[in-house]
Amino acid sequence: MRAFLLLFLLFLLVGCEKREERVVTFAVGGAPNEIEFWEKLVREFEERKGIKVKLLRQPTDTDQRRQGLVVALRSGMKDPDVFLMDVAWLPQFAASGWLEPLEGSGLKREVFFKRVVKLVDIYSGKLVALPVYVDGGVLYYRKDLLEKYGYSKLPETWEELLEYSLRVQRGERKKSPQFFGFVWQGAQYEGLVCTFLEFASSRGGGITFRKGRLVLNTGPNVEALTFMRDLIHRYRISPPNTYTEMKEEEVRMFFQEGNALFERNWPYAWALHQSKDSKVRGKVGIAPLPKFKGGRRASTLGGWHIGISRFSDTKRESLEFLKFVLSYEVQKRLALNLGWNPGRTDVYEDRDVLKRMPHFKVLREVFNYIVARPVSPYYTQVSEVLQKYLNSALSGRLSPEEALRRAEEEVGKVVERYSR
Amino acid sequence: MLKGTLGRYSSDELRDAFTFLLPLILFISIFILLPVMGTFLISTYREVTFLEKEFVFLENYLKLLSDGAFWQSLRFTLLFVLVSVPLEMVLGLAFALIINERIPFRGLLRTVLLIPWAVPLAVSARVWELIYNYNYGLANLLLLKMGITDEPVNWLGTELGAFIALVISDVWKTTPFVAIIFLAGLQAIPGEIYAQAQIDGANLFQRFFRITLPLLKPVAVVALLFRSVDALRVFDLVYVLTHGGPGGSTTSLSLYAYKHFLAGDFGYGSAVSVILFLIAFLLSILYVRASGFLSEVAR
Amino acid sequence: MSERFIKLLLLSIGSGFMVFFCLFPFLYMLLISLGENPTAVWKGTGFLTLDNYREVLQRESLHFIDYLRNSMVVSSVSALFSVLISSLSAYAVTRLSFPGRLFLLFFVLAVSLFPPISIVGYLFKLMSLLGLINTYSSLILPYISLNLPLSLWILTSYFSQIPLELDRAALVDGASRWRILFRIILPVALPGVFSAFLLSFIFSFNEFILALTLTTDYRARTVPVGIALFQGLHGETPWGTIMAASVITILPIVLLTVLFQKYIIGGLTRGAVKG
Repeated sequence: MRAFLLLFLLFLLVGCEKREERVVTFAVGGAPNEIEFWEKLVREFEERKGIKVKLLRQPTDTDQRRQGLVVALRSGMKDPDVFLMDVAWLPQFAASGWLEPLEGSGLKREVFFKRVVKLVDIYSGKLVALPVYVDGGVLYYRKDLLEKYGYSKLPETWEELLEYSLRVQRGERKKSPQFFGFVWQGAQYEGLVCTFLEFASSRGGGITFRKGRLVLNTGPNVEALTFMRDLIHRYRISPPNTYTEMKEEEVRMFFQEGNALFERNWPYAWALHQSKDSKVRGKVGIAPLPKFKGGRRASTLGGWHIGISRFSDTKRESLEFLKFVLSYEVQKRLALNLGWNPGRTDVYEDRDVLKRMPHFKVLREVFNYIVARPVSPYYTQVSEVLQKYLNSALSGRLSPEEALRRAEEEVGKVVERYSR
Repeated sequence: MLKGTLGRYSSDELRDAFTFLLPLILFISIFILLPVMGTFLISTYREVTFLEKEFVFLENYLKLLSDGAFWQSLRFTLLFVLVSVPLEMVLGLAFALIINERIPFRGLLRTVLLIPWAVPLAVSARVWELIYNYNYGLANLLLLKMGITDEPVNWLGTELGAFIALVISDVWKTTPFVAIIFLAGLQAIPGEIYAQAQIDGANLFQRFFRITLPLLKPVAVVALLFRSVDALRVFDLVYVLTHGGPGGSTTSLSLYAYKHFLAGDFGYGSAVSVILFLIAFLLSILYVRASGFLSEVAR
Repeated sequence: MSERFIKLLLLSIGSGFMVFFCLFPFLYMLLISLGENPTAVWKGTGFLTLDNYREVLQRESLHFIDYLRNSMVVSSVSALFSVLISSLSAYAVTRLSFPGRLFLLFFVLAVSLFPPISIVGYLFKLMSLLGLINTYSSLILPYISLNLPLSLWILTSYFSQIPLELDRAALVDGASRWRILFRIILPVALPGVFSAFLLSFIFSFNEFILALTLTTDYRARTVPVGIALFQGLHGETPWGTIMAASVITILPIVLLTVLFQKYIIGGLTRGAVKG
């Protein structure tokens, strides 16, 4: 008898889980200053609309952000209601039917980057998300150091970048032994695929599906990957932990500590490099990434999109919040305060923005060179394979040819598994 | 047969036994056995969040056969067991011999020994992560200071380095457990045997190799099997320390399955889990038989 | 003479090494937690500051206190229930005769060795179905079940040492079996009950993979997962803060170990070897 009493007590406990009132839960991650800014926006929205919003702070790492959302959505949880999604995994969410269609919400989709919306935000004819900001890889450089070593123009090609780096590194090492010419994302994670795509595309290669097959093991791709490996092991202008630890934030910190001449990163780093405690404040320039001799410039499309969970219990309120985030006013403030490239094109013509963010001119140019990663619901599995083999090549464990050959073969199996 | 035996049990006792056992049976059935069977079932489906669910029977397993990453993770997992468990056994025995002696602060020593085992692995793994850090980790600091290497070692960045790092951390974490098991074995050896051997003129090492080791064998078998099954399921350590890298070289089977769950592919992830389950199950049958043998001896 | 010397030498070297081996990561953890950055200890500047602790305890958006509370609740509740449930079963196993007694014991032992990854996928579906994802129950229910085998073995071992005459006398006096278990057996086997509770608590406190998969945020996330996914407010991995959080996390566990070392060792040896 008592045994059942125990069980009963236990299930009572199960029943006692607290239920929350009608609140929009907004899941977002990012750098500290970004979170602070979101907190401010949320408070303003609450005051203005009288709708309660709770900010659910996610980690900075995009894989971990995805994990939290996948668990919640897959189990049909009511929270979070609104969230930001990386372009890389948005297709998985859309194809899994986790996103509430935004049709009929009165949102004018023409004001957003048309190509981007068409590429990722529309799934089987329905609008399911919209870009909060668009991203592209850019080159940061130390103006003061280029001047010091007598360089009057920026490196146009990767070959030139290498040349500059070698010389400046040799000179700077005398004072700071930790100095490196060029830092970029090479750890085994999504960022590596982005970096590779840029090198490869600027050599005339890329990551493309042709007739349902991934074409990867091509001459230009091998050359690009070889070059990346050589930056670390042969020319040694990139630190040896490039392929183990270097993600966005590690790279940004490295550069911000004044330990590098060039940096490949996303536009978000600009505002942080100019912050008060930055050692490179006022010494940084921004430019499109170089290309290989005879190639064309390339910049990987990144960015975050906002959507509403299909399982949300506050869809109406959530939509209000989504509209708020995508409004001209908020998009402009995101640009001014966080240095983000708004998903809305009209903000780029705003006089305040152009005045206070002169580098937006450069960014607008960058968007001409945008290249996209394959858009597919199983992109994460494809990427997992790519990350593994690209990283093996960087570590020197496999030759670039071998790495790409195996990656192509393994991706073939992934494609076969999921497309039928 | 059942009827025959039933006669020997009083119905009153049977009823009570059933009531007393019911909660345990319910819990284990619902939260362990049912999920295991569920995993077996899911592994026969193509169950992906963005595709129609479809019964594919053994297709997931056939795909595993030609999946290089699966073989790599299987190889890593087995290698990890084969390298770390023996190290733990040797070190664990040494520690057990120490804390079995009548020495000052014995209680304190035992406590110290327990701490690495008692602390959450995910937490201590982060300390190890920092110890192996390329730029300012303790390991490189010491190596450089002592002049053993000129350049910092890229612990977590090379395949071998990452493997060694994982083994060291695992040995640190689980040696205490092995030592405690050996301690129990040592305490079961009657002191008179040693006294007699000493009278017969056997020295310290002879006594250890002729008496202690042979008598510890059953306990050692239990510890070995238990640790092997435990090491097979390694997850926390690789998740925190290496994320399965570099180049996927330290992705354990558990982590490989988990990564598929995360990507929304439950069928394939379940198939990987089933394989791990079967390997572990075979070993645990051996373990159960060994400890059964032991409890027979103890009686 | 020389043999005693050798033995003494081996013992002192061995125990010295053992203490160092076991404790140096914790010492390192403590040192880093007191520095502004991971190199502060060696440089001597920006060392001996409590800023990291202040950050961990006061910064609400880190949710560290939430994680700690979740861990405490989940571990104690599941330990309590697994001890209660397994003491019922241990009573049946040691006091009542029924078919398949030994089979049950060994079956449960085998169950305890199942790799958690092989239950996690389905458990996730089950908990989603019950609407329990990201609640305490989603962890407590499986933790109880996972702790049952060890608790059962420990308690069976303790119960079987209690002379049957005790129950017989009570039975003759007309006491029910429930009464005998709760009034006679459990009080006598209290050390065993306590070991089983301690070990269950520690196992639940340390569990990782289920906590990682079945919770999504601070409302139910436990401290090992919290620390594993810890991202501070300063971009780069905030080692000082992580180590401060780790120190606070292990404090209760270390305290339990120091106070109840005997019970833990007793439980481990009975659960794993003697049976």
